[in-house]
Amino acid sequence: MQRSSAIRNLAVVAAIFAVAVGLDFGLPLAIGDSSIRQLIMMALCNVLVAVSLNIINGMAGQFSIGHAGFIGIGAYGSAIVASNLHEHFGGGDPTFATSFLVVPLSIATSAIIAAFFGLIVGLPSLRLRGDYLAIVTLGFAEIFRLVIATAQIGDAQTIGQACSLVGGEHGIFQPALHCFSTIITSLGGQNGYAGPDNAGVPLYAGPFWIFGLCAIGCIAAWRIKFSGWGRALRALREDEIAAAAVGVDPTRYKVTSFVLAATGGGIAGGLMALMRDGTPIVQPESFGFQTSFDAITMVILGGSGSVSGSVIGALLVTFTVKAIELAQGTAAVQSLKMAWPALDLNALRMMIYGAVLVAMMIWRPEGLLGERELFGATSIKRKRGTKAISSKALR
Amino acid sequence: MRLELHGVSKSFGGLRAVNDVSLTVPEKNIFGLIGPNGAGKTTLFNLITGVYKRDKGSIRFGEDDVASLHPAAIAGIGIARTFQNIRLFAQLTVLENLLVAGELRKKAGLGAALIRSQAHYADEKLRRERAVELLSIFGLVEMADAPSTSLPYGDQRRLEIARAMMLAPKLLLLDEPAAGMNYGEAEGLKAQIRWLRDTFHISVVLVEHNMQVVMGVCEEIHVLDRGETIAHGSPLEVRESPAVLAAYLGQPAGEK
Repeated sequence: MQRSSAIRNLAVVAAIFAVAVGLDFGLPLAIGDSSIRQLIMMALCNVLVAVSLNIINGMAGQFSIGHAGFIGIGAYGSAIVASNLHEHFGGGDPTFATSFLVVPLSIATSAIIAAFFGLIVGLPSLRLRGDYLAIVTLGFAEIFRLVIATAQIGDAQTIGQACSLVGGEHGIFQPALHCFSTIITSLGGQNGYAGPDNAGVPLYAGPFWIFGLCAIGCIAAWRIKFSGWGRALRALREDEIAAAAVGVDPTRYKVTSFVLAATGGGIAGGLMALMRDGTPIVQPESFGFQTSFDAITMVILGGSGSVSGSVIGALLVTFTVKAIELAQGTAAVQSLKMAWPALDLNALRMMIYGAVLVAMMIWRPEGLLGERELFGATSIKRKRGTKAISSKALR
Repeated sequence: MRLELHGVSKSFGGLRAVNDVSLTVPEKNIFGLIGPNGAGKTTLFNLITGVYKRDKGSIRFGEDDVASLHPAAIAGIGIARTFQNIRLFAQLTVLENLLVAGELRKKAGLGAALIRSQAHYADEKLRRERAVELLSIFGLVEMADAPSTSLPYGDQRRLEIARAMMLAPKLLLLDEPAAGMNYGEAEGLKAQIRWLRDTFHISVVLVEHNMQVVMGVCEEIHVLDRGETIAHGSPLEVRESPAVLAAYLGQPAGEK
């Protein structure tokens, strides 16, 4: 098993690659309806969202309710890089070949910026516990959204002037702030960002990229869980003082897992922005509290701490919301709507959704899977553990 | 390595929990820390392991200034402890409780875990072997895969010691290890403490109310009362000390 780890990695990558290429070309043939294709890809992006949030909320037991902030940062990062690169290449339709340059660069940018913000938010706030941490993460996500939504073109001038008042012409922060204000005001504010000339964000990320990165994300999360690192996170969740006493530094482990979660969120956001068949515009409203809350729902519904649970939760939430939406369009529901106009079916949708969640928390508070996984890695490990009794382990 | 405390004080609000305590735990010594309830014994443990920061004084372990380190780093320089109210990782199995303590000595990091490199497997294997070995020493190997909180009380106490030993410490702090044990179990504990010291060449500091254990196993005893040192010496000396008798039994009639 040990010898073949490199070969196994290679095989896994090859398998993902093959399936991803197959999906990229096969999906449009198999499913003609682009809205269904979009739904499938959105579900995969949500899987990445849930799996990454699960690292911090499920495994480490911290309660972050600002995951949308990282998704948004990733979306804007990728949108900016991809549309500028696209313009540089002369526009036209995004091709599969150029996507191999554009997508990795954009997604890497998203990942790095999101990780950076993960660190900025994580370092001070992970010294906080429970509710306090939740409020900080929520605050961060809302600040991000509002800064982008309220920055209007023309503000750059004003912000620039304000900066020169504070820092003087040659202040240290002045150029940096000026640069920041120029970027922030070029993002389209409330209307959303659609590339430098409003030509639309190029939709480079086909099923190949979305499935591929989603699969890699899930494998990474799985490997984190079933490693010393994941065990240390679970120990921290149980008892921070005892964990510290056996050498697990709470701050280091929590901040690192927070950064990992932010990175995953950023990648998912980047993929959403560049998603083929998606909308070529990135809007701040897409990253409001509802998005964070949906992500939490996915994790809790599937089972906090379980990687496969998060995957199931993400798929379930994405498709259920869509299914209720589709059901609303059917003739039966439409005629019902005509018969009782007082019955607001739009509100009913959220009520059904809410009722399902309430019922779930009453009868299965640990989620569908709890902390378990669909298929067992633990049972194999346990067998190996207890049988391999070597008497020379302790000098 | 010697543990040296010099003029250590700690207050909580107006309460002086530990007041100007100085003591030295020699190498490979079994050292008792006793005193009535509220004497500051556990606070002293928490100061040594960095859970609390001292207000005054110095705490040194060998060359290291313990007072400047955070708890995980203190575990890293070889000070391991157990807790008065058992603190196991409830959701983890018995084996996993020990494996967590192996995290400190790991060589393969997160990157190795992500690509599942050879170093990762080698590290895991070594850690597992060490954990299983310790479990068999403490007679817990049969329950390796049971949830840690499903163990009977006495086994949980021993599991906590096994977990502390997983750190390969040089100093082991035991906070009331004999609490709730009957005569036979306490005798077993005494033998185990001696055996640990002799086998692993460590020092053991014992906070304990069970005098059968304290007097039977400790080589040196330090007595605290209301945060202050009232006696220090061999078990025999401490037993004869009038200050200790007064602290435990009250003043003899007629004296004040």
